[in-house]
Amino acid sequence: MHDWNNMNDDDFRKEVRRFIEQNYPQDLRFLPHRPRFSVIKPWLMLLVEKGWAAPHWPVQYGGMGLSPRKLLIYMDEQGRWGVARQFLGEAGVVQLGPMLIRFGSEEQRARLLPKILRYETIWCQGYSEPNAGSDLASLSTEALLDGDEFAINGRKIWTSSALDSTHMFLIVRTDKTGKKQQGITFLLLDLATPGVTVRGIKNIAGTTDYCEVTLDNARTARSNMVGELNQGWTVSRNLLGFERINTGSPRRSEFAFKRLEALARERGLFKDAGFVDRYAQLALDLADLKAVYVHFADLLTRGEPLGPDLSVLQLLSSETNQRITEFMLEVSGELGLTVAPGETQNERVDALTPFLVMRAVTIGAGTSEIHRNIISRHVLKLPG
Amino acid sequence: MTDSLPAASSEDSADSGELQERLALLRNSASRYTAGDVHVKRARALRGTQPGFDRDAWRQMAELGWLGTLIPERFGGVGLGCTEMAVICEALGRALLPEPVTAAAVLAGGVLLYGDNETLKAELAPALAAGTLIPALAWRESVHDTDMLAVETRAEQTPRGVKLYGSKCLIIGGAAADGLIVSAQSSGGIGLYWVPGAAAAPGLSYRELPDGRASAELVMSGVEVPAAHCVAGPGAASAALERAYDEALVMASAELLGLSTRALEITLEYLRTRVQFGKPIGSFQALQHRAADLYIQQRMCRHSLDEVLAALQRPDLAAEERGALASRIKARCSEASLRITRDAIQMHGAMGFADECDVGLYLKRALTLAAWLGGALLHRRRYARLALKETTA
Repeated sequence: MHDWNNMNDDDFRKEVRRFIEQNYPQDLRFLPHRPRFSVIKPWLMLLVEKGWAAPHWPVQYGGMGLSPRKLLIYMDEQGRWGVARQFLGEAGVVQLGPMLIRFGSEEQRARLLPKILRYETIWCQGYSEPNAGSDLASLSTEALLDGDEFAINGRKIWTSSALDSTHMFLIVRTDKTGKKQQGITFLLLDLATPGVTVRGIKNIAGTTDYCEVTLDNARTARSNMVGELNQGWTVSRNLLGFERINTGSPRRSEFAFKRLEALARERGLFKDAGFVDRYAQLALDLADLKAVYVHFADLLTRGEPLGPDLSVLQLLSSETNQRITEFMLEVSGELGLTVAPGETQNERVDALTPFLVMRAVTIGAGTSEIHRNIISRHVLKLPG
Repeated sequence: MTDSLPAASSEDSADSGELQERLALLRNSASRYTAGDVHVKRARALRGTQPGFDRDAWRQMAELGWLGTLIPERFGGVGLGCTEMAVICEALGRALLPEPVTAAAVLAGGVLLYGDNETLKAELAPALAAGTLIPALAWRESVHDTDMLAVETRAEQTPRGVKLYGSKCLIIGGAAADGLIVSAQSSGGIGLYWVPGAAAAPGLSYRELPDGRASAELVMSGVEVPAAHCVAGPGAASAALERAYDEALVMASAELLGLSTRALEITLEYLRTRVQFGKPIGSFQALQHRAADLYIQQRMCRHSLDEVLAALQRPDLAAEERGALASRIKARCSEASLRITRDAIQMHGAMGFADECDVGLYLKRALTLAAWLGGALLHRRRYARLALKETTA
């Protein structure tokens, strides 16, 4: 067993880089949106074989056991090469695994983790509902304990990648009497269960990545409850640091900026002083976003907790990204509207897909408005 | 007054323990000296007066070692770097001290130290560190107002030295300077010349800056400078000017960060206490989100400054890279400080528009410092020239 954490940072970086450059499919680099699972599966299976599928899991559960510092390098190298699908894999590997390790029973860990690790089960996250978005704790999908099973009724929505998933981890209401956060339970559900209907929802970028999942008396065994009854809110909120810092990574903005640069070259825009002024402004926004990211990454590296001020990074990251993609669309003009998704050559650089895809970054990981609420209430201590 | 804004301090950079300890000591001593609003009151009272600052305060800052922070020990200074100086400058900005520390100890002191006249350094630098001599740099000319190296002032050779002809403007800290360092074209290229106050006096006039401090203008028609007062000859002057300029940009940025932080704290306190419609106005989401945006700006300045200061410690830093870093942080802090102080006025409502309200002083200091040595637009362009030239060439 390799002790990655004892390796020097540069050697580790080189080894990760070498593996990615030699093995990641060239045609899947820097995709404008998340590919379907079938497309990315060969790469994920290579990671599985290599033992690199779960870099953040402890070694005893088949992970690489990377320290935050090494993990950031690992993610950094994936980002640099334009590796698709978040930075750590799928929701099962990214989120559910660490939650089970922390809150699951011995039986659950033994039964579920090996399959998650080998992508034998593919997981999606069932949190949002039609009437519980930003106000997630108001969720009303209900689970009633009936003998050794829960019967679940309700609707989950905006569930990413549900069409590709075999299972869903979800939070449901199991008690309506107390504070709304207190009557929530964390469950696991096989999507092949009778009563489960998954319907894809086409997004404005033209892909069908997120879904509506209807639950009509769908039953799941009591042994699929993670943590205690009515303690699901705590389980679901307990994201580890690197999962929270992931969406604030400047990589997506860097990628967008590189495309802006490519577009500018194609169009000869660097001769236009007006363009250069705005380009320089975005370059500086990106440089300073990176400085903020490095600050939070350093906190993680030193093992210090991340506070509510992490919303600063989330807002800077998502809004810088949008400014870059908006500017790119503006300068690409009419021509940019007739380009095939992902096209990057012959004066035709696709500016439309990044623009449309990035509409989601100020919504999906908590809306910008919610993050501003968090800063004003919990960081600046303004009255509620 | 304690720092009430919850912000990650610079302490979290990955620097050595020794440096962190030193910075913590400096931070303590700076916050002790600038505690309360005594300096804000001084700044208010000194507006529009000559010289616009206080010799006693200057001496106290010398005793604290602040004026000699960047001066090597062999010249009577403390021999520290920009990272340490930035702690002091941030505290000065925070408390709105009217003394021109950055202009004298960083900009003018810098060209002196980076010049090539060791004898003159040995004479002037210890006095600067001791607080008995205040120098100012006269580089700016009305026509070429942004490029330090576009110098039209002439230094004509005489048997004893040079005679200076030309005019300079916007000399910050020039109003009470004990002498000016003047840039001029000599036969061999740009030189820097020490002109003691008495020699400069006949050609000096003053203009008030938005923050009530004075800037000097200087007309020279044959000011005599002995050869021994050449601060830097053509071999060293341009590099000295550029380095001191870059370091002054970073220190002005630290001042801007300090004043922005304080202006935001004052505003947050107002939002928590001012009641309208039966509630503190800070409970209204429109104002909460506005405050959150200002805080984001402040944090961006903070972390960007930390990164720039860490990079400035690198011994192999090339001049162009240094220039790009300095312009990056000056652009950021200029823009953010103006936004924060403008919004501070807005969120104080009619009270913010009143001269008696301190946020106006913060806005006006931000206006002065943001423009000093070039504002956001100028420095974004300089950054593009220096750092993005591969793409923009």
